[in-house]
Amino acid sequence: MALIELRDVTKSYKRDAIDIPVLDRVTITVDAGDFMGLMGPSGSGKSTLLNLLAGIDRPTRGSIKIGDTEISSLSERALAAWRARHIGFIFQLYNLIPVLTAFENVELPLLLTNLSKAQRRDHVMTALGIVGLAERDRHYPRQLSGGQEQRVAIARAIVTDPTLLLADEPTGDLDAKSAGEVLTLLQRLNEEFKKTIVMVTHDPHAAERASHLLHLEKGTLVEQVVQRQGA
Amino acid sequence: MKFVGLILKSARRSKRRTALTMISVALAVFLFSALRAVLDGFDAVSAASSSTRLVTIRSTSMIFSMPTSHAEMIKSTPDVQDITWANWFGGIYKDPKNFFGQFAVDPESYLRMYPEIVLTDADRQAFLADRTGCIVGDGLAKKHGFKVGDKLTLQVGIPVYGSRDFDFNIRGIYKANGAAVDNQSMMFHWKYADERSTPKGQIGWVVTKIGNPDRATQVASEIDAKFANSPNETKTQTEQAFSASFASMLGNLNLLLGSVALAVVLTTLFVAGNTMAMSVRERTTEIAVMRTLGFPAATIFVLVVGEGLVVSLIGGAAGAALARIIVNGESLGLTGGFIPAFGVNNGNVVVGIGLSLLIGLLAAVIPATMASQLKIVDALRRVA
Repeated sequence: MALIELRDVTKSYKRDAIDIPVLDRVTITVDAGDFMGLMGPSGSGKSTLLNLLAGIDRPTRGSIKIGDTEISSLSERALAAWRARHIGFIFQLYNLIPVLTAFENVELPLLLTNLSKAQRRDHVMTALGIVGLAERDRHYPRQLSGGQEQRVAIARAIVTDPTLLLADEPTGDLDAKSAGEVLTLLQRLNEEFKKTIVMVTHDPHAAERASHLLHLEKGTLVEQVVQRQGA
Repeated sequence: MKFVGLILKSARRSKRRTALTMISVALAVFLFSALRAVLDGFDAVSAASSSTRLVTIRSTSMIFSMPTSHAEMIKSTPDVQDITWANWFGGIYKDPKNFFGQFAVDPESYLRMYPEIVLTDADRQAFLADRTGCIVGDGLAKKHGFKVGDKLTLQVGIPVYGSRDFDFNIRGIYKANGAAVDNQSMMFHWKYADERSTPKGQIGWVVTKIGNPDRATQVASEIDAKFANSPNETKTQTEQAFSASFASMLGNLNLLLGSVALAVVLTTLFVAGNTMAMSVRERTTEIAVMRTLGFPAATIFVLVVGEGLVVSLIGGAAGAALARIIVNGESLGLTGGFIPAFGVNNGNVVVGIGLSLLIGLLAAVIPATMASQLKIVDALRRVA
């Protein structure tokens, strides 16, 4: 069953009076439960595509339907509420809030829900448990390694049990060992918890973990590869 | 409530910067409260002034004296029930910094004219009976440790009283019952000062008690008419008008002090605004991340404004508390009795704290608007 449907999505940016095309009539379908890898050279439009899926950017033309929602037509306010409910975003540079502990960073998206303090605590500890950092809940980001920070960021992304996990080069700033741990974690979230994941990566090792691969070049989809069946 | 922790954590991000902003707001509120206390003090004196007392001074200025014969002539004016007079002495107690008001008065009529000066019968009799006796306010007594029976020596401050020190016996400690009289002053026998005065028989002002306050203007005109075209023309006003003109000798206090307070508040506003803007600029990525997580623009706006309000409120409360402690500290006697009702009242504390909230709000509005209108993709790209 298709969770993500992009139809003829075009995106261009305006710099002064010049239109700079980034994506050109991209059409993609991603099924629920897929682990989609998005590859391509720098400037090919991978991150732009991810931003469009996350609802933090809008297409110039075309339709983006996620689940039953056509997100390109939502208002800013509705889009924010939709993101809070349906999107978990993992950044390359983790982007944890430095003045908050690991617990508080993971709790952040839950502050937008009606959960009680006790319920929030349960959810946060569960998410930190899944990423293997329950005992580090009081640590600040500066007290964690890069790999641990990214795992906390993953816990923050999954704590609301979102429909879709989006990862923008999640291993791009990590050493090989930490990168391996993060990829194993993402694979586990996909296989064990049935999370649909779209991951932008340059790293062929990271791409191997995905069930499907998309290749973008100059804003156009050039190749679609199925690596694993039944994911 | 669940966002309060987030606001507090953000405010503590740069402790030094937050502390400096709080201090600047605290200083602004402290100065505002203290300056308001001065104006309120003058207003309180005017409000507490009697409507049946008139004050006559020389028409040129109250620093010039007039002969005692004026008092007798004023007494004979229709509707005048009683009169008294006084002189400013201007002596120095040990050091000029120990300034307090000293008045040479006609003791019996002065105490009769000012029932607000509360003395025990024994102290009153002792004062009246002793030519070198004096009475001091309980505030002044507390400040310098004066007790009944103590000797008090004043150096001469104004040359008309010669050059020899004046020795006094403290015969009573009075309480002030109302803002028209302060508790930081000293009164003694006019005759004692007059003995050494050159020329003799001079008084600074005459206070007149009238029966009907509705005739105050008419009686004042009649008094002044008696001395018209004489070398010592007079100006007679109600006590309230006199108090107001006394304050106006310092210039337009409302405008002066108001301008100082406004300048301080505006400067603080710019300091706080700049701090908030810097703080938001440094957090561009974090705000973009929060927006990505689903925080609505309105919530971001509230968080930034909330931070501004918390920082300003803490600073404002500290400034108001400091003003209460320092300005209201009785023993300090900051105005030397010049403003009897000088103090930061609850109203000024509330206004001061309100002002700090206004500073916080205004300082945060522009950074909060910038933060809430941030384009997420641009903000993430700027740092990534």
